[in-house]
Amino acid sequence: MADQPLESSDIAKLLKKLVKNVEKAFAVWDDVVFIGIRSGGEHIARHIVGLLAVKIGKTLPLGALDIALYRDDLSKRLLYPEVRRTDIPFDVHDKIVILVDDVLNTGRSVRAAIDHIVDLGRPRRIYLLVLFDRGGRELPIQADFVGKVISLPPDKIIKINIPEDKKSVGDIIITEEKR
Amino acid sequence: MNWPHKDLIGIADLTRNEIETILDMTPSFKEISQRDIKKVPTLRGKTVVLLFYEASTRTRLSFEIAAKRLSADTVALSKTGTSFEKGETMMDVAQNVMAMAPDCIVIRYPFAGMVRRLASTLPCSIINAGDGFHEHPTQALLDMYSMREHFGTLEGLHVVMVGDIMHSRVARSNAYGLGKMGSRVTLVGPRTLLPPGIETWGVHVSTAFDPVIPEADVIMMLRVQKERIAEHLFSGDREYSCFYGLNKERVRMMKKDAVIMHPGPMNRGVEINHDAADCDRAIILNQVENGVAIRMALLYLCLGGSNVD
Repeated sequence: MADQPLESSDIAKLLKKLVKNVEKAFAVWDDVVFIGIRSGGEHIARHIVGLLAVKIGKTLPLGALDIALYRDDLSKRLLYPEVRRTDIPFDVHDKIVILVDDVLNTGRSVRAAIDHIVDLGRPRRIYLLVLFDRGGRELPIQADFVGKVISLPPDKIIKINIPEDKKSVGDIIITEEKR
Repeated sequence: MNWPHKDLIGIADLTRNEIETILDMTPSFKEISQRDIKKVPTLRGKTVVLLFYEASTRTRLSFEIAAKRLSADTVALSKTGTSFEKGETMMDVAQNVMAMAPDCIVIRYPFAGMVRRLASTLPCSIINAGDGFHEHPTQALLDMYSMREHFGTLEGLHVVMVGDIMHSRVARSNAYGLGKMGSRVTLVGPRTLLPPGIETWGVHVSTAFDPVIPEADVIMMLRVQKERIAEHLFSGDREYSCFYGLNKERVRMMKKDAVIMHPGPMNRGVEINHDAADCDRAIILNQVENGVAIRMALLYLCLGGSNVD
């Protein structure tokens, strides 16, 4: 067995670390925006934006992206991904976008998300922030900000159990469901 | 999520949950039409053939735009200018079209039954764009979506459909759908244009329009389908308009927050006049806008995944 799953309280520590790294990376915040991939990434992005606001005294714009229509595996799936709303309340043109997801694995979701973002406009730059990088890439995609690198057997999935009120960070669950 | 249907022939085939699934997904597709780049790659490589054996402006354009915004390739054929005119049977046409490997055929046909037969014969998705007096399911879906968008719910809504009920596939599809969604439906028209068996549809029926106007949340005017109506069933435009036309006086009788709908094409001066069609209560163009989004949602569901049957 590879790395053991984290204690749920550790998510808060990872978020703190991520916020610290993001804070170090930018001197000016004028054009920085966050876009989370629904639904795990959106949740993480909301917490990062909240924590960052305390540090920099400014709440950065936050959007949510639904990538169902940009997936490359639609015809291979038996169950359809549910299509949810993309909700980005700002123009992405010329912005510095920090794209957020909960888990980075094959890189295909990130590819879909980038395609979606450029359909909405032309950002100056897109960074990638993830809570977990579990390896297993199938595309040449790497994250700029990583909470923790973990390795898991391929038949396990890791995800964040988002609490109803979305206020607390939630727990990490690792299950053996087939993906 | 699981979508069990390869085809859409009629609202009668859908459950309430399935109707809700389509309506719930539609805003995501509507948002795409509001972007600068109105296109997503979802159905890249899929081919959608539109076979229209009857005239159509909105439905055909709407399906074609919907398919293109999802990146599918579309080919449209109409009755004129093709060998439909040379006497080829529908089944032969369909099998020849099938030989070119489309993923979906959207079809409008003047008689009921053929679309269902094609669906059971051909391996691709078949979507009914109106078959005779039977059903026009995507129109009912966009109508229900437009009502729900305006009122927030369909439950308990009183929808009055007025006019040529006999020849209206829109009225049938809406009556089935709204019934499933918990709305109250009243069908209004002259006795000669009410179909036999209407009492089995689970709707209220009235030959008088004026008494139901103040009770309606939605008044949907239907086109008098003169091309289908036998002469002795219809007394003429002026008399019809007096009893069943939506005009300024009748608009005044409506509830304060009631809306006016029409599936198009409108016969101005017959079932509806300018005062009604162009007033603030009319959501007729919202219906058209929502039509594209509803058809995108439906194409996504029918073509997006591999068939689960």
